[in-house]
Parts: sequence; structure tokens; C-alpha cells
Amino acid sequence: MIGFTIRRIIQAFVVIIAVMLLVFLLAHVIPGGAARAALGPRATRLQIAQFNRLNNYDRPIIVQFWLYIEGLIWHHNLGYSYHYNQGVTAVIQERLPKTLVLVGISTILALVVAVPLGILQVVRRNKPVDYALTAGSFIFYAMPSFLLGTLLILYLAVDVHLFSVEAPQGQTVGSILADPRGLVLPEVTLAAITIASFSRYMRSSMMEAMTEDYVRTARAKGANTTRVLFFHALRNAIIPIVTLLGLSIPAIVSGAVITETVFNFPGMGLLTYQAATNTDVPMLLGTAFVATVATVIGSLAADIIYAVVDPRVRYAKR
Amino acid sequence: MVPTGGTKQAGGTATWAELPGSAPNMIFPFDPSGFFSVPNINEFQYLMYRPLYWFGQGATPNLNLSLSVGKEPSYSTDGKTITIDLNNYKWSNGETVTAQDVVFWMNMMEANKTIYGAYVPGINAIPDDVANVVATSPSEVTFTLTGTVNPNWYTYNNLSQVTPLPKAWDITATGGAPGSGGCFSGAYGTTSTDAACVKVFTFLATQAGYDPANPKAANNSFSTYATNPIWQVVDGPWHLTNFDATGNITMEPNPSYTGPVKPTLAKFVEVPYTAEPAEYNSVLGGKLDVGYLPLANEPKTTSNPLVVTGQDPRLSNYYVNEYYSWAFSYFPLNFNSSGNNGVAGKIISQLYFRQAMQTLVDQPDIITKVFKGYGLGQYGPIPPQPPTYLSAAAKTNPYPYNPAAAKALLSSHGWTVKPGGTDVCTKAGSGAGECGAGIPAGTPLTFNLQFATGITTQTDAVNDEISSWDSAGIHINETTSTFDTVIGNATACTPGPSCTWEMEDWAGEWVYSPDVYPTGEELFATGAVSNYGSYSDPTTDNLIKGTDFSNQSLTNYENYLVKQLPVIYLPAQVQSLTEIQNNLRGVTPQNIFSALTPENWYFVK
Repeated sequence: MIGFTIRRIIQAFVVIIAVMLLVFLLAHVIPGGAARAALGPRATRLQIAQFNRLNNYDRPIIVQFWLYIEGLIWHHNLGYSYHYNQGVTAVIQERLPKTLVLVGISTILALVVAVPLGILQVVRRNKPVDYALTAGSFIFYAMPSFLLGTLLILYLAVDVHLFSVEAPQGQTVGSILADPRGLVLPEVTLAAITIASFSRYMRSSMMEAMTEDYVRTARAKGANTTRVLFFHALRNAIIPIVTLLGLSIPAIVSGAVITETVFNFPGMGLLTYQAATNTDVPMLLGTAFVATVATVIGSLAADIIYAVVDPRVRYAKR
Repeated sequence: MVPTGGTKQAGGTATWAELPGSAPNMIFPFDPSGFFSVPNINEFQYLMYRPLYWFGQGATPNLNLSLSVGKEPSYSTDGKTITIDLNNYKWSNGETVTAQDVVFWMNMMEANKTIYGAYVPGINAIPDDVANVVATSPSEVTFTLTGTVNPNWYTYNNLSQVTPLPKAWDITATGGAPGSGGCFSGAYGTTSTDAACVKVFTFLATQAGYDPANPKAANNSFSTYATNPIWQVVDGPWHLTNFDATGNITMEPNPSYTGPVKPTLAKFVEVPYTAEPAEYNSVLGGKLDVGYLPLANEPKTTSNPLVVTGQDPRLSNYYVNEYYSWAFSYFPLNFNSSGNNGVAGKIISQLYFRQAMQTLVDQPDIITKVFKGYGLGQYGPIPPQPPTYLSAAAKTNPYPYNPAAAKALLSSHGWTVKPGGTDVCTKAGSGAGECGAGIPAGTPLTFNLQFATGITTQTDAVNDEISSWDSAGIHINETTSTFDTVIGNATACTPGPSCTWEMEDWAGEWVYSPDVYPTGEELFATGAVSNYGSYSDPTTDNLIKGTDFSNQSLTNYENYLVKQLPVIYLPAQVQSLTEIQNNLRGVTPQNIFSALTPENWYFVK
């Protein structure tokens, strides 16, 4: 297990460097150039030349990449964003906690609701409850988050005044959590769609587990339904959800651009989107770095937890 | 209708919506290139740091002396000397706003002009044409220029850039003694003053977040904007009490303000938005005192572009007020383009071709169907609203929509017109009835047009235009990209293999600020900074010089450019349908440059 983990960590570094190089190259082939994007339409040629020199854009791309990686490793510096007039690290430090709160809570909420729902559907398989929940899952799964979010705002915030029209506007995690009235709608929007997805996986996985020999054996030994469900079938059925959770970590870190936009909650998703549309190369690289690290960690965590949850799986050294 | 009546209430907090993605990001009013923007200057810095001259009176772009630090400038008869007396303004640290504060700005500008966002090289404008600036008394400053200028041009386009700076900012380190930087009191244009001003600028810009010597340096200065003692020295009606990187801004009245209108509100709050729908939801929820109605949500098409006819019935607590910005809409054509096998630029250089293109822009149709009536026909480089500088010739379209006329123009110049297809040059040559110099027979009339997406109305307008051009056989290969990419591609280039772009439409407009007098030296003079399409015409150059450096009328320049078509003119779209709470007064008339004056605002009961 330790050998496996070390190998995966080394792989992770290689993946991160490779992805950063790819993003770096892509960001530098965007037509138009970062200088004009940063300095605006009235920038003079001299200003553009100065900009390119100061930001090393006049040097070979591989040298630029090396300088970027050097700054990242030795100075923990992700660069400076002209668009925000801030260091990239400072902006990410401000946005990341907000996104972690928003998407993290919704993921936990989705997990807490989706697992029992999946189990309930198996228990009530092919009964009205199962049909209703399946139909509900399909509706929410197919529904774009901007539509769900907008409908919730129009009915529950504008018409009924039950919740706020926008997400909490505080800048700290504490101030965001202190405004539950603002948090409800964006969390529901994000969670509803995730619940629809997770519950379908849970239902399928649980159905499959219930047909396994060990479940039949448990029943034959006299275990009641509750024990069969929660002590025998659930542990195996939860494995796909663990994988899904691991793969959700990049989303938790990268944000949910549409939900953030609809609820006026500028987090990591919107930051990445705006960096791309504004040709804000340092910010684009910074958010890509964070997303890549999160993806690698999520994937690694899923593999490790998979082995822990399922004793049959071992990552022995071959 | 603007509501009236009610009893004025002291205090209260007014909230105002920022445009999406337009949060201010620079507090230092000597804005480097890239920070010179309406959100930074007109919607943020001006509230704290008053310019020497304020523009916008009522709904006009005119000089507003009542809100200016300077009194009306006095020009010598030879137009080379300007004397400016100052009104009685105080800095919040108790010092008087003096003539030396104006010299401080000019010293800063002279030393750091290549970094300053509004500096335009090569046109002999401020500060290049300033031989000397001296404070002839504490309240009087004298500019000596190197040549004669048109006073109107100089006041509106050059002095419009000046903002007095406090002596307290003449430092090179935190806690330095005011004036210790050597920029404030240095003699204008000397090497020692320039050297001192570079150091002071570097220090102040770094305090504001931007390190000109090392732009890659990580910083987090936004967190200090509201607390840094430097930025708390203000002469405007407001001072900053909260600022964050997202764009949440809170200001409170400056108790030392000596200007004409003291704030009534207790707080003024600027609120950032991620997108128009989010802002609109906030208006629907009543969270904003001043927001805006996205055009897509305007329920009715108006027959009068200056009157809002519809209002969402859910917005009964608001009234709508509209304004057009002091700007003109256009997109450039590349006169030097080597596209289309090297002939694109040569075709664009033909006036008859540009006339055909312009004739196929159906401005009334775009205004009615795309802008819901909230637009104005625009036929030249002068903003149509208010028609302050609009000549008689520019009030009517010299190239009204007429597909038959466009086809006739092309066919009479050697093109075989194929409506819905691609016209082909069949009569090569530069004589009458021929395609033009350098355009060989068999050349297809096809162009690449890249346009910016993201604004639905603009996309619809471009599609309307493309369809119309296609009807006359002008084939457009359209591609889309972001605003920044499109504007980045539209860079002036000399003829050659790399100069390939042909038409770029970034769905933007040219806002005449700080070049308030729309003389066009930045846009259409040969080699001008923002002459992206490399349009070059000696007559145009002479007309521009005439409006800048002599008292020649703007009309000659305007009438000529209306017919010359250095760019394709597009209809002007309303700048904002502003939603204002019924119990908030003083918001209208809105400043044509989007400058905010919440000191005029107050709530009523």
C-alpha cells in the first residue's frame, strides 16, 4: 500500500507538470495576445513592448515556462493578474474558501440524501415510491443548473421572499455560513442535480449487491432486512459512490461556474471562466494549477479509499 | 417619469450595481495603461479625488465648472499660455488644494507618460506640448505650451486628464514626510524632477497594487485600500471605508469636503455582479437602490429612442431612466491586410467598396429589431446623443440602407454581382469602372470577419449585417471569439505576410473620454495609437490638425469622415436603462460619462 501511494504521488507530480505545460502552451497560442488584453485598446506599441518584456512574453515559450515553474516552486508565486491588479495567489486565496463552502456543502448534502434515497428505491423497487423518485431523478439530472437556480430565485426569493435572491456576499467563510438564508437556494440548486446523479448510482449498485451470494447467505443465516441492507449490501454498494466522490473533489475546488453566476457568488468556477475570456494568462494558469492538483489528489484519494472500503482490492507491489 | 416630492431624509445607505466584470481595481488616480477605465475613474476615483475639470452637465458632455476644481481656463491670444485659477477645495488632511498640486500631477505625467493610460504619443498633446508649468500663486497655475492650440480641444482633451494630487503623496516610503519625494515641488521637465517622480510613482502604484518595475510580484494591496493613510487624503465628497477584491465598495462622506454639494447619504455602496441575470434578480428582489434593466428584460419596443416605454410590472418600486454614453460604435477594416491572397487591404482601400458595405448596414432594422428601439442612427465618428457636435450632414445617413444601390456600386466598379454567392472581379485595373489598383481579375469578394460574442444584441446585429452583405454577394467568413481576443487581433500592422486580419468587430464603442472633444486624433490620424485599420489620408490628417491646433470647425472634419468611411459605422445602442428606487432622488440626469455623483442622492419619505 505504501509503495502504491508513493508511486501514485510521483505520477501525480508528472501529471501536474504535464498539464501545466499543456495549459501554458494553449494559453500562449490564444490569438490577440495578453498584452492588449491587459493594457486595453488604447495601449501604445511602446507600452505593449514594455509589458511583454516585463512579463517575459518576448522570450521563448520554454524559457517562460521554466521561469513560471521556478517561481512556483521556489517562491510559491503564481504570478500577477493585471485584470484584478492582484497576485494570482491572493485572488485564489480569496475565492477558494468560498467555493469550498458552496460546493463542499452541496456535495455532503447530496451524499446524505442520495444514499438513503438509493436504498429506499431498492427496498421499494418497482413500487410507486421508486417510480416517483426515478422520475424526479431524471428531471433534476436533465435540468440545467441555470434553469433550476433561476426558477428557485423567481419563486422562492422574488415572489415568496422566503430566501435571498443571491448567495451570501461575505468575504470570509464565517460570514458566508452566518447567512443561511442566502445559502439555501444555491446549495439546493447544486445538490438537487448531484442527488439525482448519486441516487441513480446508489440504486443500481445496491440492486446489484442485493443479488450477490453473500446477501443470500446472510438471509439464509437469518439476518433481518435492515442488517442485510446496512451491514452486508451497503458496504459493497457504496464503492462506486466513493469513486464518484473522489472525482468530485476537482469540482469542489474548481467551482460551479453557472451556479456561481446565477447566484452572484464569485468563486473559482467564475474566476477560471473569466480568466479564459479575458486572456488573463497568469490567472488561467493559477486556476488550472489548483484544478490539476485537486484532480490528482481526488483521484489518488479515491484509489486509496477504494482499497480501504473494499478489502478484496489490494494494491500489492507486482 | 422621474418621481418628485417627498420629504428629504438625511442619512441612509444607497446601493448601486456595478456592471458584470467591471469592478474597480485601481485607487491611484494616475492610472497606468490597463487601469484607465470608466469603472476605475468615473465610478470610483472621482468620488474621492476630484479632477481639475469635470465634464458632463445635465445630459451633455459639456465642461461643468461648478463641479471642477479649476475655474474656467484663460488662454492667451496666441493660444500658447493657459492660466487657471482654482476654486477653494481642501484636502481631508486640512491642506488646501493648491496650484502646486496641479504641478505635482504634471510632473508625474511628464516623468511617467509612457506608463500613463491616456498618454497618446505622436500628436503633440499633453504633456509633450507643455514647455513649462508653474504655480504662479497658491491658487493660480500657468501652463506654457510649445505651440498654438485650439482652446476647446486643449481644455476638453488635455486638461481633462489632470487631477490635482496632494503633497502628502509626494513620498517614496511609508511614513515619509509630505514633499520628501521631490516630485511635488520640482521644476517641470527637469531630469532631477523626472527621476524623483519615477520613484514616487513606483511607490504609489505599488501601494495601489501595481508594481511597474516588477509586475509579477505577488501582492494583496486591496485589503489596505480602505485603511492605507495615503488613500484617505481626499478632496472629493467621499472617502473609502471598505474595498475587497470582488468589487464590494463602501464609501462614507468626507466631512472636510468643501465642494458645492455635500453628501446627504450616510453611505454609498457599490455592489459587484457576476452577470446581468444576477443583477436583474437583485433588482427584482429590491436589493438595489440603483441598478439597471438588461435590454433583454425590457418588455416593450419603444418608438422613441429617448423614452423608455416599458417596465417589468414586478418593478413597481422602481422607475427607469436611460442615457446614451458619449461614444460612437464602429468596427475597423484593415487597409493593410494581406488576406484574400494579398488583396483584402486593396479592396478595403477602395471608397466605393466601403460605401457598398456601409449601404448594406440596415441601421433602422437593427435599432428596431435588435435594440428594441433603444438606439440611434449613427453615420459618422461623432456621438449622436446629445447632438451637441453633430453637423447637419451627419444627421442624415449619406449611405442609407439600399441593397440595389450597393449592388450597383459594385457592378459599376468591375464586379460581377452574385447575390447570395460571392462577387468576382471581372474588370481588373485602376480606371473608371474597374475594380481598383492591385485587384486582379477573378478575385472573389470575400472577407474574414471576427466578432466578439457574449452580448446577445451585438451578435444579433452582426448577423443582421452579414445577411445583408451576403445579399449583395459580399461573402463574409465569420468567426467568433472573446472581446479581448478580437480587440487583440485588431492591431495596426504594416503590409506583409503577418498582417492578415481583415475585419474585427469587438462589439464595443469608442468612448470619448478623456478626449471629450471628438476630434479623432487618436482614431483616424495616420499612425495614431488606436487607428487599428491603418487608415491614412492626408485630408483627414489636415482636418484633425485644424481642429486641434487652430480654431477650425469640427464640422469640416466630421462631414468629410462621414463620407470617407474610415471604419464601418454602426448604430448607437442605449448605454443603460437605469432602474432607480422611487424614494431615491438626485440620480438623474445621469452623467454621460457614467461618472457617479451620489452626493446628489437622497432618500425621501
